[in-house]
Amino acid sequence: MPSDLHWVESLLYRLITAPSGVVEGLAAEKSLAPGGLAQVIAGDDRLSAEERVDIYANMYFYRILDVIKEDFPATLAILGDERFHNLVTGYLIEYPPAHFSISYAGDRLADFIRDHPPREEFPFLADLARLERALIDVFHAPDSVPLDAEQMRAISPEDWPALKLTAHPAHQILALEWNVAAILKSVEQGEEPSYPVRDDISMLVWRNRNRVYYRAIDPSERDELSAIAKGTTFAEICEVIAGGVEGDPASAINQRLETWLRDGILVRG
Amino acid sequence: MKRSDFPFLGFGVGLRRDHYVHILDTHPKVDWFEILSENFMVAGGRPLEVLDGICARYPAVMHGVSMSIGSTEKIRRDYLRELKTLARRVEPAWISDHLCWTGVGGRNLHDLLPLPYTPEVVRHVATRIREVQDFLERPILIENVSSYMTFNDSTMTEWEFLAEIAERGDCGILLDINNIFVSAFNHRFDARAYIDAIPVERVIQFHLAGHSDHGTYLLDTHDHPVRDEVWDLYAHAVRRFDPVSALIEWDDNIPEFGVLMETANKARAIHQKVTVEAPRDAVRSPLG
Repeated sequence: MPSDLHWVESLLYRLITAPSGVVEGLAAEKSLAPGGLAQVIAGDDRLSAEERVDIYANMYFYRILDVIKEDFPATLAILGDERFHNLVTGYLIEYPPAHFSISYAGDRLADFIRDHPPREEFPFLADLARLERALIDVFHAPDSVPLDAEQMRAISPEDWPALKLTAHPAHQILALEWNVAAILKSVEQGEEPSYPVRDDISMLVWRNRNRVYYRAIDPSERDELSAIAKGTTFAEICEVIAGGVEGDPASAINQRLETWLRDGILVRG
Repeated sequence: MKRSDFPFLGFGVGLRRDHYVHILDTHPKVDWFEILSENFMVAGGRPLEVLDGICARYPAVMHGVSMSIGSTEKIRRDYLRELKTLARRVEPAWISDHLCWTGVGGRNLHDLLPLPYTPEVVRHVATRIREVQDFLERPILIENVSSYMTFNDSTMTEWEFLAEIAERGDCGILLDINNIFVSAFNHRFDARAYIDAIPVERVIQFHLAGHSDHGTYLLDTHDHPVRDEVWDLYAHAVRRFDPVSALIEWDDNIPEFGVLMETANKARAIHQKVTVEAPRDAVRSPLG
């Protein structure tokens, strides 16, 4: 491995990702004599060595900014362009992209917002970013064949109790402190988002026929889905559902089953 | 690597998300598609459903941006494994990536950065190409990138560097005509001299794209129509390398699919005109 090449690539990496630009990045380079970049990179009458590296620095930032903007449209709508730009500047210092796919560039944005709230007026922003990221993660999550109502009917009723069930891998249950779903809906519909309600809620994000959906779920459905995700039988999950209702358990079980089969949440274990 | 191992696919278009529905619904008459490998290196969902639909109807090749063949760190095995898994699904006519580096320290700049053109770097990159080809069990193509900087340590021209690496790595070349034009302006070299120095038997594919003019430099933005000067250069390349599959790239300000079809057909028309004027022995014919 050419050691000079490693040195050059490391130097350029630091300069391209320097948060305040190439010139300030150069000032921090102790091993490089003043004007030393011109000994590495050829400048000419059109562009100096610094200006040439600066082209790459701009492309680095704006390419990733564009991807993160596309992935977090509601977070962008809340913050506005300038504050979102500043958010991403700070984010990239703490979480520079490491994955080979640029679609993961924003995968820690919610963590960054949680640890560095951009403004006190947006305490819900980390939850909003978590929900937006979950939509992307679920979009790409592994495939499986969901159980549908027709298949369920084809199974003999006496075999139902022992039927092994698990949850479709393309789902997430988020524990949120703010009901940010309304913000997302507003942005999707091109409307002005309103301030969300402070509310401890569980948000189910799932994929059905390759489309991603989300809805708030109550604590009992959250617990039932968590049990299913760990692997269970139909009889066991019926017991869990029955234990959580005060009225007719058969009606509650039917309702849940209908919803989950329609949504493609259940997979045969 | 033998040129005859690679089919002549004709005149294709880069597959982009904006056009998924149009392509799957209307099945436009396109010779072939180039997919961006990383967009489909996912566990499941809509991207793979689209991919399967495309691959069922059209020849496809895989084009990557994150191999970082010019890096000084170990080639990521997880990346190569996923690439190989995707190749099993796509059964591409070939796999390509860029002659560049993309990051250090496990970090990814998501950009295609140039290398110093020295014999030492030639040996380094060629060794890595062979490692990748051994792992993938197939030859790959490497593409010349647009660049905005050069290194004072370079002792070779870019075309000598590219040709030497392809020979030593025993790989094919994806010759990006627009990148040659952009870099020729940015570094004041003769684009035709570049093309004339590339070994004919190594060139398997052309890229054509638009760029933007920033006055003191050209930027490879893939957001404009192909410029006339690049079409002229393409005609020059066709004269030298024909028959070579050509592909239109468009990544920003993406127009309706029909515009891409028209551009691919323009490449076809130029190819036909050039080869009628100076016919070569066409040894390969388009698939399908």
